[in-house]
Amino acid sequence: MSAAHDIPRRRPLLRAALPAAGLLPLVLWQIVFFVVPVALIFGVSVWRTQSYRLIPAFTFDNYIAIFARPAIWRALLLSVETAAFVTVACAVLAFPVAYFIAKKAGRWRGLLLVAVIAPFWISIVMRVAAWRLLLGERGVINQVAMTLGLTDAPMSFLLYSPVSTAIGLIYAYLPLYVLPLYAAISNIHDNWIEAALDLNASPARTFFEVILPLSAPGLVVGAVFCFVFGLGEFVTPALLGGGKQLMFSQVIQDEFQRRLDWPSGAAMAVVLLVLVFAALALSMKWIRRASGETGL
Amino acid sequence: MTERSPNAVELRAVSKVYGASAAVRDVSMEIARGAFVTILGPSGCGKSTLLRMISGFVTPSSGDVLIDGVSVLGAAPYERDTAMVFQDYALFPHRTVAQNLAFGLRMRRIAKDEIARRVEAMLELVNLRGFGDRRVSQMSGGQAQRVALGRALIVRPAVLLLDEPLGALDLKLRKQMQAELKTIHRDLGLTFVAVTHDQEEALTLSDRIAVMNGGALEQFDTPENLYRRPATRFVADFVGNANLFDARIGGGGRVAADSLPLTLDLSAAQRGGRGEGTRVALVVRPETIAVGAAAPAHHDCRVEARVDEIMFSGAVQQITGHLPDGTRLTAHQSAALPAPERGATAIFSWPGQSVWLVDG
Amino acid sequence: MNRLSFGWTLPAYSVLLYAFLYLPIVVIVLFAFDAKAIPGLPIDAFTTDWFSASLGDTRLVGSLLTSIRLALMAAVLSTALAMPAAMVLAWRPVRMKSLVLCLVLGPVVLPQLVLGLGLVVLFRAAPDLIGAPAIVLAHTTMTSSYATLMLYSRFLGFRRSYIEAAMNLGADEFTTFREVVLPLVAPSLIAVLLLAFTDAFGEFVVAWFLAGFTETLPIAIWTSLRQVISPKIYALSALVILVTLFVSVSAQVWILGQSRRECES
Repeated sequence: MSAAHDIPRRRPLLRAALPAAGLLPLVLWQIVFFVVPVALIFGVSVWRTQSYRLIPAFTFDNYIAIFARPAIWRALLLSVETAAFVTVACAVLAFPVAYFIAKKAGRWRGLLLVAVIAPFWISIVMRVAAWRLLLGERGVINQVAMTLGLTDAPMSFLLYSPVSTAIGLIYAYLPLYVLPLYAAISNIHDNWIEAALDLNASPARTFFEVILPLSAPGLVVGAVFCFVFGLGEFVTPALLGGGKQLMFSQVIQDEFQRRLDWPSGAAMAVVLLVLVFAALALSMKWIRRASGETGL
Repeated sequence: MTERSPNAVELRAVSKVYGASAAVRDVSMEIARGAFVTILGPSGCGKSTLLRMISGFVTPSSGDVLIDGVSVLGAAPYERDTAMVFQDYALFPHRTVAQNLAFGLRMRRIAKDEIARRVEAMLELVNLRGFGDRRVSQMSGGQAQRVALGRALIVRPAVLLLDEPLGALDLKLRKQMQAELKTIHRDLGLTFVAVTHDQEEALTLSDRIAVMNGGALEQFDTPENLYRRPATRFVADFVGNANLFDARIGGGGRVAADSLPLTLDLSAAQRGGRGEGTRVALVVRPETIAVGAAAPAHHDCRVEARVDEIMFSGAVQQITGHLPDGTRLTAHQSAALPAPERGATAIFSWPGQSVWLVDG
Repeated sequence: MNRLSFGWTLPAYSVLLYAFLYLPIVVIVLFAFDAKAIPGLPIDAFTTDWFSASLGDTRLVGSLLTSIRLALMAAVLSTALAMPAAMVLAWRPVRMKSLVLCLVLGPVVLPQLVLGLGLVVLFRAAPDLIGAPAIVLAHTTMTSSYATLMLYSRFLGFRRSYIEAAMNLGADEFTTFREVVLPLVAPSLIAVLLLAFTDAFGEFVVAWFLAGFTETLPIAIWTSLRQVISPKIYALSALVILVTLFVSVSAQVWILGQSRRECES
């Protein structure tokens, strides 16, 4: 016998089963704890409640009912507006920093990038608690502004308003926007920018005709994350937004946990999911078209 | 086992089909024990797939692979007595040089002191004495190549497989490693199967060369036969330089070239048993062609052509010319001989017995 | 460097933005030292009493330990789920791969609120699991997505020839994994564990829905935010934030260094 056969043989069946065995636990897990819960939300949204008890049914009454309540319309509109505003604000705020890190930071770029993302890992509850210290009537910002004589009375609109919610959300999702923008901008070759400038394009035209279109993929990916997360975010509006102007997520939580009307809350959750899905689908379509055009 | 097969590796009509395209088509090959065989071909010709079939990373769609006379079709790579030198070396970056060398021996559960002894001997063999404790990231390209070679050799495999082993080295280092590889092969008496796209490397290193094209084996022969007696037009063109002239075999063994004002009397051996009317191509090696005002006496094939270009490259000058109908000719002749004038008309001549025929 | 320079404006703006990102963190840490019972500017006297007070608060420390314990379980579980799956996805032809990827990545884009409520409905079928087990299960679902994504890209970048070299030298699948794959991906694995831990540790919404009587640190902070906030909360938060920053920065710097080394070799 030659040396090869000193090495023990393993059954080929086991070898063939390995890939499935590796993937199966995660897939099963995600089906039970992700697909099923989402399916349950869809299911419950067409059920009925009767004196706080769930009754299986198939009715669209919950959907009709929620759209008949103007308060819910207002909350939905406020959520979409806030998410859209936060998305635009994040894009504008993140772009120069992403550009700086990608093109000007040299060997510091790795550390600067990590430093942008690091606050994202701090518990959202703690970050929001910090903003309460900053934005309150007796908070840091008002104290400083009054000491500097910028304002006589504390600015009360800073906390418990859509403004504070927006600030909290921008703070929360800014890191998420820098990341894809950085990736897109670092893919722009300096030569292309050089070429535009050599062809006597002004810096402004170079920006609008070279840099901005080429960073579009990063802008879109960042926008999707910002918008989708901003739309469904609960902690920030609940702690910073106050109780007067409710966001959609607050209404859903209220419906579920305080009013215990699960079918109605589930129907609202489905509306939220549809919006999220629409945003994702739109961006996917755009990305697919854009990558088709450039042939990448 | 009663009788050991004389062949280290035997491929029996192996094919590999990916979807609609075949990477390897019906290749049969017998590789004798102790031989140095090179699989040569342009990129995408299926040569790497063939090597990976022997090592067990690719399962043939049909056919059989035998190592030491035993079919290894069902055997995983780690159950086969092969060792491979990878194109990118694939040295384990988290291990030292000595640990890399010892890996295969550890897998074979060889005693520790025996491993230490063989690692030292291998470091010696590949000229890396004292490098055992280095990290592989500290190795230069040539040194990493030696470690990769040593790691494969140390297990004394039935077949050593080399996938473009010298491809990542610069020219000078490559020449040096070629010589070392040849010495090691001769000293150890192992079977080497290498894959390369570099025909010069293949000609220098190998006992036998398998030329592949489009997944099929074109010819499996000694370097000399490959060069002097190519089996196909592809081999004639791919191995060395060749002037190829379409021709037809006429009556009485005479061969008439389509575009040359020539008719050749060829021996039966040269015709290779081809009958009258067969389409063929004449293979005329550039170094057999003399260019001058007159032809040497024994050069019975003579054409008059206009000289287009003379390229001097040290010992040899390459002369290209064309006939009135545009047919091009390339000749290599010693730079010691007088060069013809560019634009002038000269006699290009060669002996008829040096001509070889391939199927047109 | 290109000539499109913005002089000092770009660096100056970047400094401002970093200040914005770190302002809340600085404020929390600062107020943790404020001697006043209700923190606010100006800070007249500094004290470290709040730190000892928070560490002496059994309820607060209990919630911290609960968070650590549950996050640890979720991190280990999600990494254990993610690693084999990421290997298969990166290295083997998988039928319906995009569907599997959607399944794996879904929890990333799904609003946490919706996942939380869906799990509330699900756990009505198993009310005994409400509390610590439900929180671990939910956090594992969320963090295994990130973990799979990160490990997937690591395994995609893994040189296949290392594995082939090992198998070629006689190592079977399990030995190859133990001797070659595991040591080489260990840094990424640790980084993924750390990030999964951090994520699970800080998550609030889903945990809150499924907590029952279990109190994690974010839930404890949430509860106290609805009342008058004791500076103890800021002291503990400051500690946790500093640890979180340290862990997440080192995990990411580690990944960064790792990918850089991979590029060089």
